[in-house]
Amino acid sequence: MQQTNRLRPFFENITFDRDDNELVLNFGPQHPSAHGQLRLMLHLQQEQIVKAHPDVGYLHRGMEKMAENMIYNEFMPTTDRMDYIASSSNNYGFVLAVEELIGLEVPRRAKVIRMMLLETNRLMSHLFWLATTALDIGAMTVFLYAFREREYLMDLIEDYCGARLTHSAIRIGGVPLDLPDNFMGDLRKFLEKLPENIKDYEDLLDTNRIWRMRMEKVGVISTEMALSWGCTGPMLRASGVKWDIRKEEPYELYDEVDFDIPYSDKGDNYARYKVYMMEMRESAKILHQLIPMYFDTTPELMAHAPKYISAPKIDIMTQNYSLMQHFVLVTQGMRPPVGEVYIPTESPKGELGYYINSQGGPYPYRLKLRAPSFWHTGILTDLLPGHYIPDVVAIIGTTNIVFGEVDR
Amino acid sequence: MRAYTDKKDAQKKAYYTDRYWVAPQVPKSTVESDEVFAADLEAIKAKFEVIEAYIQVKQMVVIIKPEDNYGVLEVLKDECDYTQLSEMSAIDWLADKGQLEVFYQLLSMNKRKRIRVKCFIDQGLAVESVNPLFRSADWAEREAYDMLGLKVNNHPFMKRILMPDDWEGHPLHKSYPLQGDEFAQWYEVDKIFGKEARDIIGPENRDPAMVDRYDTERFGRLGHEVPRGAEPKESKGPEPTTPLAYQEEEGVFMIEKFDEEKSVVIRDRDR
Amino acid sequence: MAQHQVNYMQDGGLPVALTSIDKLANWGRSNSLWALTYGLACCGIEMMASGASRYDFDRFGTIFRSSPRQADIMIVAGTLTKKHAEFIRRLYDQMTEPKWVISMGSCANTGGMFNTYATVQGVDRVIPVDLYLPGCAPRPETLQYGVMLLQKKIRSEKAIKSQKPKRLM
Repeated sequence: MQQTNRLRPFFENITFDRDDNELVLNFGPQHPSAHGQLRLMLHLQQEQIVKAHPDVGYLHRGMEKMAENMIYNEFMPTTDRMDYIASSSNNYGFVLAVEELIGLEVPRRAKVIRMMLLETNRLMSHLFWLATTALDIGAMTVFLYAFREREYLMDLIEDYCGARLTHSAIRIGGVPLDLPDNFMGDLRKFLEKLPENIKDYEDLLDTNRIWRMRMEKVGVISTEMALSWGCTGPMLRASGVKWDIRKEEPYELYDEVDFDIPYSDKGDNYARYKVYMMEMRESAKILHQLIPMYFDTTPELMAHAPKYISAPKIDIMTQNYSLMQHFVLVTQGMRPPVGEVYIPTESPKGELGYYINSQGGPYPYRLKLRAPSFWHTGILTDLLPGHYIPDVVAIIGTTNIVFGEVDR
Repeated sequence: MRAYTDKKDAQKKAYYTDRYWVAPQVPKSTVESDEVFAADLEAIKAKFEVIEAYIQVKQMVVIIKPEDNYGVLEVLKDECDYTQLSEMSAIDWLADKGQLEVFYQLLSMNKRKRIRVKCFIDQGLAVESVNPLFRSADWAEREAYDMLGLKVNNHPFMKRILMPDDWEGHPLHKSYPLQGDEFAQWYEVDKIFGKEARDIIGPENRDPAMVDRYDTERFGRLGHEVPRGAEPKESKGPEPTTPLAYQEEEGVFMIEKFDEEKSVVIRDRDR
Repeated sequence: MAQHQVNYMQDGGLPVALTSIDKLANWGRSNSLWALTYGLACCGIEMMASGASRYDFDRFGTIFRSSPRQADIMIVAGTLTKKHAEFIRRLYDQMTEPKWVISMGSCANTGGMFNTYATVQGVDRVIPVDLYLPGCAPRPETLQYGVMLLQKKIRSEKAIKSQKPKRLM
């Protein structure tokens, strides 16, 4: 019944009977080291790549369309599934954009908790990056070590919000819950261990000849190229631009904590690896500073804005007007003012921006997700030519792309 | 017969809006209130016509004519130091005005300023590609074409990027339903098994709450698990559930059964 | 040189166990389920976590393989989109019999929260599925339990059966 020839691949503009010794190699979309569903059409001369066409969209799930058919709070769990390595940073980017749209000030404790979540997410994401990249290059030990540490962070997050991967732990107007009692103790314990662990990874990798040979002077991105392709985050910082949105356009309490921006002007894979390792240390530094800041705050968690945000649960259960307002906000959704915002945040991968165009209705008129990985995948078009086949895996590894975010 | 409904806007609608409700506006301020933006605007105004300019949520919005888009971005890049195109896409206003709103989100790292250049383009007309200025426009314009059908002139590789090449329609049009048109709903069946298999496979189940206890081929028997394709038992009373123990009662050869009594629970996370 | 002498008449008797072919083959099959890495989205991360240090899938005999020719089960972990659907079918056809499919997570089961134009509403529209794991994303424990259930299912099957190719159509 099934016709075998029906599943012929669809190679556009590619002819196979050519006489110039050029081989067309199809890489993906289900390749173990493509970090997801990336398909690369590589034109090869011998082992060298002369032309690369990244083909994305294999995880396009229509999130922007979903946003246009959902009330703002309803869209929150969908943002989790964008960059699923660090879900809270996606939640946060969306929440911040909506809060800027409606002009909302969040209580200080909620800000501290949000920053804690963001930084633990950054650590989780960087550890995951290290694990998978090392695995792709062949360092299995680092994979197992880094996943071990990541599990402890996931335990922390699970204690807070109950989910390991898809947190939805941030709400418009604040955070839903206070930190559990054991959270600070566990976090401190983890942070004490972390520098040793990072040193372990570096001991395994830094002096490893294979690692150095596959990382150094491979995949060099010049500053101009990085800027022109819209690279952000560690990709841009490894190419010599000291730009971190947390520092330059501070949101939440990032202007009150002390941290450095690691950067390098080499632009190769090794520089990116170093930037990631340094950023983990900086995140740990921020988390250390946040612990005393948390204890200085009053226990309010949600902003007070009856037009947009439900009252606390105790009021809903006891007061009639709170209940009515809650009912309207849940069934109809909040109606932000007419206008548009573009709010960038520094996610672990780079600049995560949310563009929201509101026409005063309960659904956004247009929501554009500016995901950093999309551009980091695009740069492969210009970056890969001239490299060899094994370099492809190393370069894809260090660009740190996540396909939930590329295709949205 | 179903009543005729307008297909121009297939988006979900609010089921109730207060008659007297007037939507508030996100406050806008004049460009003169910020001297950096004022200087940038002067630089644009020296060469091109600016339809409107204002500052909203700390960012300047400049509305220009669609044919000037390349020129304005060139001025902003070369003279005003806006080195990065962070985002470019379009908004569908086809039902209301017959226009697409194209926006370019630019970033100047030296000035720490963000600017949004917008233009409205009539349906069927094309904008000029800004790919020579910013390489990131390459993929952004492809995405805008794919999702919204924005036409772009002089683009080096104008192909769909997110949807398959043989896809029909542009999903982010307001006239495109969220769950897809007929082509979209049968896409994978048509491609893999052929159109003749539609009857065998059946339409998609778009109802997330549906549980079909007599369908043992698909995911639809939550709580009444049976082997795939088994005959479901017709019974009047509550259906017998299948026990979901992971091991047979008598045990398995050479495999030890997990014993809760003997196992050690590590409560301390300190390894 | 040491001489190893085994006295078969002592200590528990002959090192022989009697069993049926079915049991032996199924025992082997169920305890070396090599899985095809099919991490599509978020569930793929949990699948990796269950293969990594804490959850350690290797002790169940489940080793992730990158090639469909070497794999026994396909763990479809994540959202299957319409653009990807033909590839999953092609890889499924490339796997050798006997083969089993675990659909991991809501997206693979029914399309989940992505009730949109671009998502296949359940992988069972394209390939036959043996086991559905609920959750978004299912925890690694769920996947371990699912694999153990599949092992139980394999043990109850006949080892040598008429090879009826499992085609959806």
